[in-house]
Amino acid sequence: MKRLFLIVVLGCFGLLLNGTVWAAGPETLVVGVSSDIHTLDPSVSSDNYDWRQIYPCYDRLVAYKAGSTEVEPSAAESWSVNEDGTIWTFSIRRGIAFDDGTPLDAGAVKFAFERTLQIGRGPADNIGAIDSVEVLDDYTVQITLKNAFGPFIQTLATDAASIMNPNIMKHEKDGDLAQGWLAENTDGSGPFRLAEWTRGQRAVLEAKPDYWGGPAQIKQAVIRFMSESADRRMALERGDIDIAENILIDQLPALEENPDVEVNKYPSQLVEYVYINNRKPGLDDPRVRQALCFAVDYDGIIHYVLQGQGVQMRGPVPEGMWGHKKDLFQHKRDVSKAKALLKEAGQEDLELTLIYSERRSSWEQIATILQANFADAGITLNLELMANPTLRDQVDKGNFELCLGAWSPDYADPSMFMNFWFDSDNWGLPGNRSFYKNERVDQLIRKSVTLSDQEKRVELYNRAQEIIMDEAPYIFLYQVKTIVPMRKNVKGYVYNPMLESMYNFQDIWKK
Amino acid sequence: MRILRYILRRLLYVLPVLLGVTILVFFISHAIPGDPAQMIAGPKASRQAVEEIRRSHGLDKPLPIQYLRFVSGLVQGDLGRSIRNHRPVVEDLKDFLPATLELTLAAMILCLGVGIPLGILAAVKRNKLTDHLTRVFSVFGVSTPVFWLGLMLLLLFYRNLGWLPGSGRLDIMVQPPPQFTGMYTLDALLAGQWATFANALWHIILPAFCLSYVYLAIITRIVRSSMIGVLGQDFITTARANGLSEAIIVLKHAFKNSLIPTVTITGLSFGELMGGAILTETIFAWPGMGKYVVDSVNYLDFPGIMGFTLMVSLVYVLVNLTVDVIYAFLNPTIRY
Repeated sequence: MKRLFLIVVLGCFGLLLNGTVWAAGPETLVVGVSSDIHTLDPSVSSDNYDWRQIYPCYDRLVAYKAGSTEVEPSAAESWSVNEDGTIWTFSIRRGIAFDDGTPLDAGAVKFAFERTLQIGRGPADNIGAIDSVEVLDDYTVQITLKNAFGPFIQTLATDAASIMNPNIMKHEKDGDLAQGWLAENTDGSGPFRLAEWTRGQRAVLEAKPDYWGGPAQIKQAVIRFMSESADRRMALERGDIDIAENILIDQLPALEENPDVEVNKYPSQLVEYVYINNRKPGLDDPRVRQALCFAVDYDGIIHYVLQGQGVQMRGPVPEGMWGHKKDLFQHKRDVSKAKALLKEAGQEDLELTLIYSERRSSWEQIATILQANFADAGITLNLELMANPTLRDQVDKGNFELCLGAWSPDYADPSMFMNFWFDSDNWGLPGNRSFYKNERVDQLIRKSVTLSDQEKRVELYNRAQEIIMDEAPYIFLYQVKTIVPMRKNVKGYVYNPMLESMYNFQDIWKK
Repeated sequence: MRILRYILRRLLYVLPVLLGVTILVFFISHAIPGDPAQMIAGPKASRQAVEEIRRSHGLDKPLPIQYLRFVSGLVQGDLGRSIRNHRPVVEDLKDFLPATLELTLAAMILCLGVGIPLGILAAVKRNKLTDHLTRVFSVFGVSTPVFWLGLMLLLLFYRNLGWLPGSGRLDIMVQPPPQFTGMYTLDALLAGQWATFANALWHIILPAFCLSYVYLAIITRIVRSSMIGVLGQDFITTARANGLSEAIIVLKHAFKNSLIPTVTITGLSFGELMGGAILTETIFAWPGMGKYVVDSVNYLDFPGIMGFTLMVSLVYVLVNLTVDVIYAFLNPTIRY
């Protein structure tokens, strides 16, 4: 009996230790990511982690040039726009088809845009400039805008402008415009299609050999959901995954020493900043807000918290986005100046509260540094950590003094910063989270966003930026570098700051 | 017969308990400041979009009405739709519950399969080296934080030694077995896919151990102390005087009489393991309920939160019932 038991136990261990490892071959790219998909419906999702899977499965009228924020023709071969910038006419490339053979034509474009607008979720805001879509002939579509909108063509390269097969309507239930079905399936004409999605575990994107733009080099991309950074790091080191997303900064030095791993860093458009509630007594005085900006040790935060993986912001528009003003004033730590400004404003015993959430791992440290920095200038800063939904609610209602926030643009246009952050119509969560109001700034940015002449737009934005730096409605901290560690045999990856967390799977290959 | 009636009566008690749970959880979770409509709409959504979502999800209705809607759905077996992914919560539970259940059961098997023999061993070899080693092992288990233990296990057995696989339920290129129960080990066995079974078993070892360690340690200590208590009693001396072998005395007479506290703690730990698997699931990328409920809380996805809580309460109640029934079998003087 005893012997039998021993044999069984040893047998089990033998089986386990020799358990066959099914590793991915060169035709399969495995990406380890931190978050599962919520929905696959391009008309519903406002989440980069969903777009990672959605984007390669669909085509759009225009696409970003590789690694650039400029757009080039994609499903649209060419386009023209009328004098005042309100009517856009696109001629659509022939020969693009969905999986069931339905052609991607003017009707499909009309269907897709109208569906997104009708569903009315986040993506509808992205293409919200559209008033109506008209089919001129099978391959010509005309889009009329509500008002002239400078960034319009840029918005057509976003995930929100994905063109889905009109036949999805056969899956419609209770008038949901097939939302239930498209949340779990893809039906686009892009280079990939969803082959499997096991919730909480993985999604498999399968390359289409007959894609009109040429087939991808890999046969499939497997996205593994692994919520723990250390877990992704170890899997990358063992070669179980090829790319690891969102690795915590403190784990990078060890990864960089691994000879099989390359740690790539790219300047992103993701910025972190502090909302100063301009409506709160004390903080309604620009001198006090200036004092806060002068009290912060920007270099210290970038050096110690980000370990150098960030760049201090210069004004609201980040580096790499057109409209970024290279010679704009930038705050540097100057405690005596901060003290002088506070004295002048009669606010020498200022006590403030900073709210923040755990959405970004660095915030706890940054909050503590801000507390110490402000103390040097004689400001008492209380820290209050809260759950993200609670924090967002407080921000929307203006129930806060200072709040740590992050922002990334949905399309490559400075209006994503200038108009969202400063237009007094956008108070609260929609963008103007400092409840800032300046009529001159409102005029300048509202004018700029309707123009199509880039030079003129920059000029107006520049004037607005000068005023903003004087009035200091936010503390502009830094723009983050995106870090993409991958195995050295992964080739062809191109980072695009507009496609954060999205991969150019169709160009990636493994040596 | 009496016991059957008892079980039936206890099962009936489940209903008011669950109803109480729904009321508590519903109103407490709605007390969290925050607006689910905003969370659904996305970070930069306009006010119209938020209002439209509030209306279409019925979030603009007064709370008591929302609660009544939930309960009337519940009696029809409908837990509502997740406001995060628009899917019936029942479907979500079907996806995520089996993984947690599998992990919990595996951890339970480890708890009992390792904890009880260790406890007996420690009691028999009281104050000898084995006892001391067991004590160190137990103290370590009770005092080690799960997230640290999990990472260390992965670091040692996966990254450095390569003996065991990393996170996840299967290797990346292995197809999940056809779904009967949703538990991969069981499903693979039922489908006769031996390689998949071995792979799934191989993958569950580390997370199961990580999850079980605390309770394994507690069970070891409890078995030890209750065994020591029993071994000192008169009937054991009598058994020894009658010349029974030590193995029979320990395993048959002493062990059975020391089981009641063990069963109590086992029942409790099952519920705890299931509700407390969140950290283990996060570290080992185990797609269970823990991760699901954390996401639900972060999105203020009330139907998701309710579904999870109901499920865990149900398991708690059922396990407690089972424990009470087992008492009667272990100790014939207990009557219901």
